[in-house]
Amino acid sequence: MTLLSVEDLSVTFDAETGTVHAVSGIDFTIERGETVCLVGESGSGKTVACESVTQLLPTPPGSIDGTVTFDGEELTSKSERALREYRGGRVGHIFQNPQDALDPVYTVGSQVVEAIRLHRDDSKAEAKSRAIDLLDRVGIGNADERFHDYPHQFSGGMTQRVVIAIALACDPDLLIADEPTTALDVTIQAQVLDLLVDLQAERGMGILFVTHDLGVVAEIADRVVVLYAGQVMERGSVEQVFTRPSHPYTKALLDCLPGRGASATIDGSLPDPKAPPTGCRFHPRCPHAVPACERGDSPPFATVDGDHEAACILHEDPYELPATLGETDE
Amino acid sequence: MPSKRLDDAAFANIDWDEEAGGHSVHWPTVGLLAGLVGLAAAAVHKLRVGGTPFGFIGWEPPRIAWLLLLAGLLGLRYGLYPMVRDRDRTLPALKRLFSRPVGALSAGFVVLSLLFALVGPEFISWDYAKLAHAHQPPVFTRLRVEDVYAYNCVGELANGYCHGTWQYPLGTNRYGGSVVQRLFEGNIVAVKLAVSTAIVMGVVAMVVGTVAGYAGGLTDTVLMSYVDIQQTIPALVIYLVVATLFLGNIGGVEDGKLFSLALVFGLLDWGGIARVVRSDVLTRRSAGYIRAAKAVGATDRHVLRRHVVPNAMPTLVTALTRRIPLLVLIQIALAYLALNSATGGGSLGETLRSSFTDPSGALAWTDLWWLTAIPILFTVVFVLAYSLLGDELRDVLDPKGVSR
Repeated sequence: MTLLSVEDLSVTFDAETGTVHAVSGIDFTIERGETVCLVGESGSGKTVACESVTQLLPTPPGSIDGTVTFDGEELTSKSERALREYRGGRVGHIFQNPQDALDPVYTVGSQVVEAIRLHRDDSKAEAKSRAIDLLDRVGIGNADERFHDYPHQFSGGMTQRVVIAIALACDPDLLIADEPTTALDVTIQAQVLDLLVDLQAERGMGILFVTHDLGVVAEIADRVVVLYAGQVMERGSVEQVFTRPSHPYTKALLDCLPGRGASATIDGSLPDPKAPPTGCRFHPRCPHAVPACERGDSPPFATVDGDHEAACILHEDPYELPATLGETDE
Repeated sequence: MPSKRLDDAAFANIDWDEEAGGHSVHWPTVGLLAGLVGLAAAAVHKLRVGGTPFGFIGWEPPRIAWLLLLAGLLGLRYGLYPMVRDRDRTLPALKRLFSRPVGALSAGFVVLSLLFALVGPEFISWDYAKLAHAHQPPVFTRLRVEDVYAYNCVGELANGYCHGTWQYPLGTNRYGGSVVQRLFEGNIVAVKLAVSTAIVMGVVAMVVGTVAGYAGGLTDTVLMSYVDIQQTIPALVIYLVVATLFLGNIGGVEDGKLFSLALVFGLLDWGGIARVVRSDVLTRRSAGYIRAAKAVGATDRHVLRRHVVPNAMPTLVTALTRRIPLLVLIQIALAYLALNSATGGGSLGETLRSSFTDPSGALAWTDLWWLTAIPILFTVVFVLAYSLLGDELRDVLDPKGVSR
């Protein structure tokens, strides 16, 4: 059974100046043991999408439409009380800024214990030994001594390991990692990614990984979902998307990577989420836009190859596919 | 099917894990409730039956004691109990406090002041003031008494100067009362007021501030509007009316005015503190660790109790220790103006007033400098110690160990 399936998810926030369309009708699925990357610029709705899974949206609450099915259970209609059992129990969360994710007034150990005891009937001693095991497992040397240290006594990378230990406290089936390496320097990034890969191999959990760093995607992802302005532009396996980017936006993102020819930028900026453009949301910035891109709803998905799909009308019959989006020369 | 198992587990867990925070009975809260019910019952007994509900231990509580009892209950539940429960955090913090010179001095003064005020009267008894021992100078000082009619020097009289003695280390006033005793009694009044209002104000301000800041929206608007309205009511004027009309010296109980001062300020003066706590909570509400706690399935109650309140505690302590010494000063000023206790309540303000108004005429108040200088000095030290302790506590409670 599919571990997580998100269908037609839309999230809007009512602001005084208008309704913000953070996410508009996105779909993706995650299987057990699989890593799915949500990729996109800042502000493209990645964080909102993954916080919608267990309805952790920040205040003021956004309204969520669509269905989120986790292990056969529909989550969007569940009560707050039922959802709490999923949060931390079966769905673990890792946040972007590790220093901020730990409460400064408690030792790291007691925060791991807290996460354990929220879902398990362990005694304090049991929870403590489990917490030390977890800290040890995520690579914190001397775990039984560092158990008593405060968050500010840890470096950024070590803190992120603690946050991962907290997320793993109750053996989740799904780990949602929201830019877990963005705040870390590059050498530490690699260690944390390796740790996540190891833990996944060990526990067979699904990982929903949010990042804007395509280098990280190449490292960790099985499948990629490219988001732009709250909509899915392209999805497919990591090989498919990287070797044959089929949406102009994905192509432009990849061109921005240093080391892939002349480093490029995408002109313009994300559209106003209160008044997204008609048609394809990327058309104002798209170098290949044709007049039809501005009309109607978002373009439907066109199959590129098997599971590899792109929401771009250039893949439909009457249009001529630009050479850069056709078969690559590699 | 795994999801079925989860649903069952969810029910099995929630019912007693969630609702009681892991314990089937949360005994500190039960204790607090029992204490409050007991106190309320005693108060009803007092009002309906009269006499003293504490007759079985031979104690007739003055009215301020009711506030102190309430403060004691709240202090046990929300002060001492968390400190003992989290002793692995409390002990290092205390160690840090006493390793700082200012912290050790101010904490030392405050502890002594509290001890002398709360248990001192049980152990220390004072001689009756002897009129014959009036106007004795403090030890190590002397007073020129050559020309003074009928001056009786307790210490050594030499060359027209009377020298102070250890019998009255800080001298005596015009009734022959020891200045040390005046300070002791002034301290009792100040501490009673400080403790009873601090705890009542602290608990109310913390509850209102955290609820308003965390809930936001309409709750926030309603609570803060109430605070706005409350802050337009001058507590001092209300106090003067209440103390004069209703809670003065009824039935010979002398501390009615202190009681009404504590009551009126405790109920009307917490708005500013609640506002500070609220703005602190407002910034923390979106902090990563609050979201992280929710992401591991914590309830709002759990988040409030375990993350929001402890983090807002240093803010509350600082705000309180700014407000309480001010309140003590107001009380002293009121007593100085004879608006507080007409019948020798022992306030430092009373002591000061009587020092300036010596009818004998032979000695100017500048000759009797100790009668004004020492109470003023004591007041300054008292206010400084309580304020500085607040600053030090805030620094020490900050786990990073440095002030920002």
